[in-house]
Amino acid sequence: MHKSFISQNPSVLWFLAALGLFTVIVTVMSEATGVGLVSTSFVKTLGKTLCLCLIAIAMDVVWGYCGILSLGHFAFFGIGGYAIGMWLMYARTEGIVLDSLAGQPIPATAQEISDAIGNQIFGVVGSSDFPLIWAFADNLFLQLAMVVLVPGLLALVFGWLAFRSRVTGVYLSILTQAMTLALSLYLFQNESGLRGNNGLSGLQNIPGFEDASQANISLAFLWASALALGAGYLFFAWVISGKMGSVVKGIRDNEARVRFLGYHVESYKLFIFTITAVVSGIAGALYYPQAGIINPGEIAPIASIYLAVWVAIGGRGRLYGAVIGAAFVSLLSSWFTGGGAPPINLGFYTVLWTDWWLVLLGLSFVTVTLFFPKGIGGLFDYLVRKPS
Amino acid sequence: MSMLLEVDGVTVTFDGFRAINNLSINFAPAELRAIIGPNGAGKTTFMDIVTGKTKPDSGKVIWGERNISLLGMSESQIAMEGIGRKFQKPTVFEDQTVRQNLAMALKNPRSPFAVLMHKKTPSNAARIEAIAEETGLLDSLTRTAGELSHGQKQWLEIGMLLAQDPRLLLVDEPAAGMTVEEREKTTDILKRAAQTRAVVVVEHDMEFVRRLNCKVTVLHEGSVLAEGSLDHVTSNQTVIDVYLGRAHA
Repeated sequence: MHKSFISQNPSVLWFLAALGLFTVIVTVMSEATGVGLVSTSFVKTLGKTLCLCLIAIAMDVVWGYCGILSLGHFAFFGIGGYAIGMWLMYARTEGIVLDSLAGQPIPATAQEISDAIGNQIFGVVGSSDFPLIWAFADNLFLQLAMVVLVPGLLALVFGWLAFRSRVTGVYLSILTQAMTLALSLYLFQNESGLRGNNGLSGLQNIPGFEDASQANISLAFLWASALALGAGYLFFAWVISGKMGSVVKGIRDNEARVRFLGYHVESYKLFIFTITAVVSGIAGALYYPQAGIINPGEIAPIASIYLAVWVAIGGRGRLYGAVIGAAFVSLLSSWFTGGGAPPINLGFYTVLWTDWWLVLLGLSFVTVTLFFPKGIGGLFDYLVRKPS
Repeated sequence: MSMLLEVDGVTVTFDGFRAINNLSINFAPAELRAIIGPNGAGKTTFMDIVTGKTKPDSGKVIWGERNISLLGMSESQIAMEGIGRKFQKPTVFEDQTVRQNLAMALKNPRSPFAVLMHKKTPSNAARIEAIAEETGLLDSLTRTAGELSHGQKQWLEIGMLLAQDPRLLLVDEPAAGMTVEEREKTTDILKRAAQTRAVVVVEHDMEFVRRLNCKVTVLHEGSVLAEGSLDHVTSNQTVIDVYLGRAHA
């Protein structure tokens, strides 16, 4: 069965091979092996890019295959990041507090330790008490479960309400946009219990690996991200390959017809929406330890819109297209906005790419949508199959 | 005789316009029936009510031996009860192959989990091939549905209906845009299907209805105007007035 799945979907094998090769090459050339052709910060950028590719394939499944233009998947990504960030921050602060209390003649009580950790984490928002949502922050496994459960449950409840009322098309997009905006605004509050606009920081320091160099840690995360992307790609390729893919594409193309065939369309949408939300959460949980910081700005509506732009430019309805779009556009974006692109002096006006990159991105989005609806990934179709 | 479907005193109003007006109509478990009527007679609305797309303001829709009410059931539940519908415009999934289209329609568990774990079986493949043969699409199984001719798309949709194995087929204008030979073949397919189940054909084209050679129900302004053989209803003076009156209006 598994064999025939691969043989029917040769692109999956090609993708996994390319991903493996990429990871090995980056590893060999990284600072961790002493070659140092790829700097540690660039390894982090690449690792983060792999996470963005993972959420992009999730977006492609929900939008490109199922036709649900969700403009809220970065909310699930952010929730995944916050969930793992809570443990990272708690465990690291606990370590620091225990170290500083170690020399005391009278051992500190559990309450004193807890207060000290609370002070360290929440002092910045003028509090020292642990909010209820931090109840499991000391337990890595429970927080890892949260990475999956919280986005999954939110998507399940939100999707159930939206799909049951048969909200579709642009109205659903607006609703998802409202969801991510509401979540972002809520997290900006100091009372949200997640340090308001400060967000969670110091996430690049992994508790238990204080002695490991950032070069090694970044490499470990690169591998973890590549593994997650590979597994996610395989999983989604499997989901959309068989009859499920048929039904899901049918829902995209003609929802009413699928309903009259006897399929409960809402359950299918809910299923796709929820599994993609879970994968987005996992992608976020891998992304933010590499970014080092997460704050509510990350969940701002614009992030989810970028995600849709990546997938559109890369090519909807083909998983590798989403990967290409996310990798290409996000790397290009950091090059332009990070000062990599030289400013263009027109004499009367200087084009600064930090300002003009968004215009360029917008233009390419419009161009791709109008003239190349299949995106960059569509080029592969021309290479593989001769245009008829 | 017990009826497969009983529509009793159904009324539907759209913004004050009575699309269906106290409509009562019955179908036996195995029969071929043509429903004719001028534009706006309520033919499509009738199908919408039976398939759950439109909820009537009043009246009853009773289904099967257990006499269950179809009102309040969702489209997918009604489809699973055994009512299949072919739309006026051929609506097949153009991006997918003929085989995929038929496999999707094939009577099998419909829950997301069952579909996700679905494996191709020889018995399913045999059923798909039998239906493809019946509808003349055996050579086109691997083709993309979008490449098919208009007539073939119509047959594919009828094939998808048959694959659902429904007890009642509602077929909206199956002969629209077909050549004479294609029409003959369509008539044959529908007649064969009607031997084991109820087939209700909504049609404009009198020639096609004549070819079906079955009981005819004439709808006008949302209710039944006449019922009987085609010759019987076409000799009815009110039916002539309605049709000719429209034609000369």
